[in-house]
Amino acid sequence: MSFLSFLAAETTKAAPAAAAHAPAAAAAESHGPVGDIISLFGSFGVDGPHLLVQLINFAILAFILHRFAIKPALGQMEERNRLIEKGLADAQAATQRLAEAQKAADAKLNAASDEAAKILADARNAAKAAVEAAKAEATAAQTEVIAKAKAAIEADRVKMLAEVRGEVSRLVVETAAKVLEQNLDDAQRGRLNEAAVKQLAR
Amino acid sequence: MSAASVRAEAKRLLALSLEGGAVSSERVGAVLAALAKSRSAHQLRPLLRAYLTHIRRELARGEARIEHAGPLAAADADAIAAHFTKALGRPVRPVARRNDALLAGFRVRVGDDVTDLSASLRLANLAKSLS
Repeated sequence: MSFLSFLAAETTKAAPAAAAHAPAAAAAESHGPVGDIISLFGSFGVDGPHLLVQLINFAILAFILHRFAIKPALGQMEERNRLIEKGLADAQAATQRLAEAQKAADAKLNAASDEAAKILADARNAAKAAVEAAKAEATAAQTEVIAKAKAAIEADRVKMLAEVRGEVSRLVVETAAKVLEQNLDDAQRGRLNEAAVKQLAR
Repeated sequence: MSAASVRAEAKRLLALSLEGGAVSSERVGAVLAALAKSRSAHQLRPLLRAYLTHIRRELARGEARIEHAGPLAAADADAIAAHFTKALGRPVRPVARRNDALLAGFRVRVGDDVTDLSASLRLANLAKSLS
């Protein structure tokens, strides 16, 4: 910076001197086309030493800017770009992984849902089958109990009828025997014996 | 002697005791006398027991045991015996006994055969058919 200040100061100092010497130089060099061009530049205030100094000054400034400002800035920008690209790539990969994970989770969820539905359906079918089996078993048992009860009732009825019939028969026979025993006299019995003998002879 | 040989011997003695198809008391006496002479006491006891059983059975086969309710004429008893004599082909004599439990009619037993023409049997059959 001190160098630049010094260069500016020297340029400022040299400018009036150059302006004072310019007509003389122009007069001295105003011969031929080159002299014309120089005089033309001179008429615009451009002189060689001054331009050279400015070029050097600009080159130094450009070098300094490139070395200490532009290059680090470009490096930082490249680094930042690289980081941004890396972040973007990571984000994309993360998004892809997230999508894959989401897809896998959805697939697992669907599979689990299907499995759950299948288990539920199986359980329902098993429960239904068990209920049907129990119902059929209960019906069969009920039918068997009813049949046994009917058979027992019928057997009791038949037995009772047989007992009643036997009892009635016994009473009838006993009564008939008593009647015969009381009412038959010897004469009647003798006649019956004769009839039996005749029956035996036949 | 075994039981089988005793039965066979008793049967042979029974055949010797028959005269005209009926048991003869004379022949039975002769058989017993011969047995007493020929057999020892311990051989004689089972043989005599079997012989007695055969004699009783044979006598029963020759008797018509008539159980009757009320009076039974002798002619009717003889008619019954004649019927069985003819049917069985051997002489059968009547042995009558009154049994009013028969109510009416009679029951005849000849050996193991029973012929029942009593009112009590008919009532029993009636009761059986009703029950």
